[in-house]
Amino acid sequence: MRSRHFKNIIEAGILTFLLILIYSFNLYATDNIASGKQGMVATAHPLATEAGLNILKQGGNAIDAVVASAFAIGVVEPDASGVGGGGAMVIWLNDKKESVYINYYQKASEKVDKINYNSELDRHTAKAVLIPGTVDGLLTALERYGTMDRQQVMEPAIRYARDGFEIDGTLAGILLDNYQITLEDSESASIFTEEGFPRMEGDILVQENLAHTLELIAENGRDGFYGGSIAKDLVTRINNGGGVMTFADLQNYYAQIGVPVQGNYRGYDVIAAGPPQSGASVIEALHILENENLTKKGHYSESAQTLHIMAETFKRIYTDRFTFMEDPLFGEVPIRGIVSKDFALGRYHDINPYRAEPRKYSDTKPGNPFKYNRTSARTESGVKENKDYQWSDDVDDENSGSEDWSEDMFDSWGSRKKIKTKQVLKKAVKDTIIVDEDDYEEYDGHTTHMSIIDKDGNAVSLTQTLGTFFGSGIMVDGFLLNCGMSNFSSTSEVNSVAPNKQPRSSISPTIILKNDEPYMVVGSPGAGRIISTVVELIVNGIDFSYSAQAVNDAPRFYCQKFDEYLHVEGGISEGVIKSLKRKGHNIKQYGNLDLFFGGAQLILVDPRTQTYYGAADKRRGGIAEGY
Amino acid sequence: MRKKLMKTALVVISLTIFATTVLLAEPLFQAPVLISSAGQSADVKLVGMLAKRAQIENIVELIATEKNLDGIKTLIVVPGFSSKGLGAAGVSAADEINRVKALLAAANEQNIPVVLVHIGGNARRYGQSDQFIEEVAQYAKAMIVVEQGNEDQLFTKIASEKNIPLTLVPKIVAAGEPLKNFFK
Repeated sequence: MRSRHFKNIIEAGILTFLLILIYSFNLYATDNIASGKQGMVATAHPLATEAGLNILKQGGNAIDAVVASAFAIGVVEPDASGVGGGGAMVIWLNDKKESVYINYYQKASEKVDKINYNSELDRHTAKAVLIPGTVDGLLTALERYGTMDRQQVMEPAIRYARDGFEIDGTLAGILLDNYQITLEDSESASIFTEEGFPRMEGDILVQENLAHTLELIAENGRDGFYGGSIAKDLVTRINNGGGVMTFADLQNYYAQIGVPVQGNYRGYDVIAAGPPQSGASVIEALHILENENLTKKGHYSESAQTLHIMAETFKRIYTDRFTFMEDPLFGEVPIRGIVSKDFALGRYHDINPYRAEPRKYSDTKPGNPFKYNRTSARTESGVKENKDYQWSDDVDDENSGSEDWSEDMFDSWGSRKKIKTKQVLKKAVKDTIIVDEDDYEEYDGHTTHMSIIDKDGNAVSLTQTLGTFFGSGIMVDGFLLNCGMSNFSSTSEVNSVAPNKQPRSSISPTIILKNDEPYMVVGSPGAGRIISTVVELIVNGIDFSYSAQAVNDAPRFYCQKFDEYLHVEGGISEGVIKSLKRKGHNIKQYGNLDLFFGGAQLILVDPRTQTYYGAADKRRGGIAEGY
Repeated sequence: MRKKLMKTALVVISLTIFATTVLLAEPLFQAPVLISSAGQSADVKLVGMLAKRAQIENIVELIATEKNLDGIKTLIVVPGFSSKGLGAAGVSAADEINRVKALLAAANEQNIPVVLVHIGGNARRYGQSDQFIEEVAQYAKAMIVVEQGNEDQLFTKIASEKNIPLTLVPKIVAAGEPLKNFFK
């Protein structure tokens, strides 16, 4: 009897062990999380992650790794970014305790005023193409802050293009959804389709022309792209297609290097991409939310109060962004005001905690950040100022051409060209209902993001794009060209198109520091949703102490000024949805883990153990790997 | 008795041969064809391209309703969920399911045969895509499926349970030939 009982216990034990084993296996099979103490790379594709991780293992730093991954991602995710596009990165140099912002977003031709652009009709034409910045941005980062040579860091990208790689489920789905764009260009069609139909998951995608282009860049540096045969092919193709691009445009394209825009959220320093990118909006949102105890109210997936406050915050920050943000070389952007905590407090007091106000999101009014623009936002941040950088506010630069600034450090807080404050505010208030082209809701995640940290704590957050998936659809020498013109506003002076100007962009690569050490490296694709998604990720980490995977897995939501819906992902409780409806929000519900809400790649650092935890977004193919 | 059995057997064999001959002579399905989506994926346009290449008289209507069935002799439905497609069409997933159900019921009422064509492979399987596949499969008289979408044998199982023909093809482009044969 006793031995039978003992046998039952043993059997039950074995069964429990097996169940735990199965559960554990499933846990690791489904979670895209990794940990390590030497380095961590999180990108939207396993091969791009592998490229960066191998560079770290070979002794490269985070900048070497990010350049390797960024060139590689343009090959294995050719729809979302590449040498025909642009982007931005925020770098944290841990030994120097310095932060750097490299802006390599695409910019308009010097002759852009010679074309009439219609964003609905011309998005997939040569008219949509702006001067690509990726090559100069990545090579500049490598030359200034990296330790390896071009050949080393570009080798994986060239190999993936030359030998081919297996199309994964994410790319297969994107090819299906966008096959009509891929058919519009004969070179693109020859790469992405087979007998007129999209290539499928499991097919091997070989890009010989792209491999050749990358080899030219590896051999000749920026001159291999902005000069020589590629420049000739670009200028010929764009001008023959009705667009404008000159040899001077290409030769004079230089990435801008400066300091990131900075803020502080509950004791954590936030360093993010300044205008024309949207890190300032992320910081504005965090500064507004700092006035609420979100932890006490509960996570937004279970607390309508938290979600409501955050949604009302989003309405306001997006309105301020639409009203004031543009390329700071072409207008006065009140960036210090926007990231001022006093301004944020005023915006917070504008929120009705009980109901959506204004009920119509489009009636949301901008604040007046100019009032706070003299506040030194830097004093509110614990991030140490880089003494080598000069703030430009006192510089008389009326006569400075943008090209002159290209090699200089520039100040992402302020602008070069002064416009009278009152004029801008008057215009902004008058034009509160501006429908910007870049504010139309594109569905897909577009764009791509990667987060990398090395053994010394140097970190890079990088986001780059072609505009929308497949950009303009035009392919030259194996790479797709961006459709950046669509990011300019056609109905507003702010962010209107001008020669040599960069359009406004939602991309928001961000690094969070605690006591001058990296705590979170984060960013996401997702068109207009990027800003709200990055804010939610930060809130999940700081306010709710979620693990890296939980930060990424938590349901998301989004709303802004020019769209009357509060977009809510599956996973937000029904009780919260009902309560939000009672507060006056129009809810649009989505399934779980919907690509609409981005594809974040993030790294969290455990300050106690100095362990890096990476999490790739399940909404999009990708992987984090560390060692 | 033996002669009687022989005669009956001959009659049965003759009738079988006759019926087979008639069936072989007649196409399985007839044009004009209405091609619609179930789930609003862009796959429906690709099936439209395949039908055009096969010279099958067709109309592609992403959000077809009963009204679009006028004069139609075969309904091809392409299941595959796409949030992007739903967003572009301005409909919710629930609205789409209701539309598809109503369309299939109307076709059934009007004796219009339904053909299921699934070409999206894994990209159009599982989750909400499977919900649309199940709805369409209830009414399908034949199926053409790109093999990758049948890795878990879902379509094989459906074909077996419903006793309907299933044609598996390796690639999207290969779906054109069996589609053509259906109408030949």
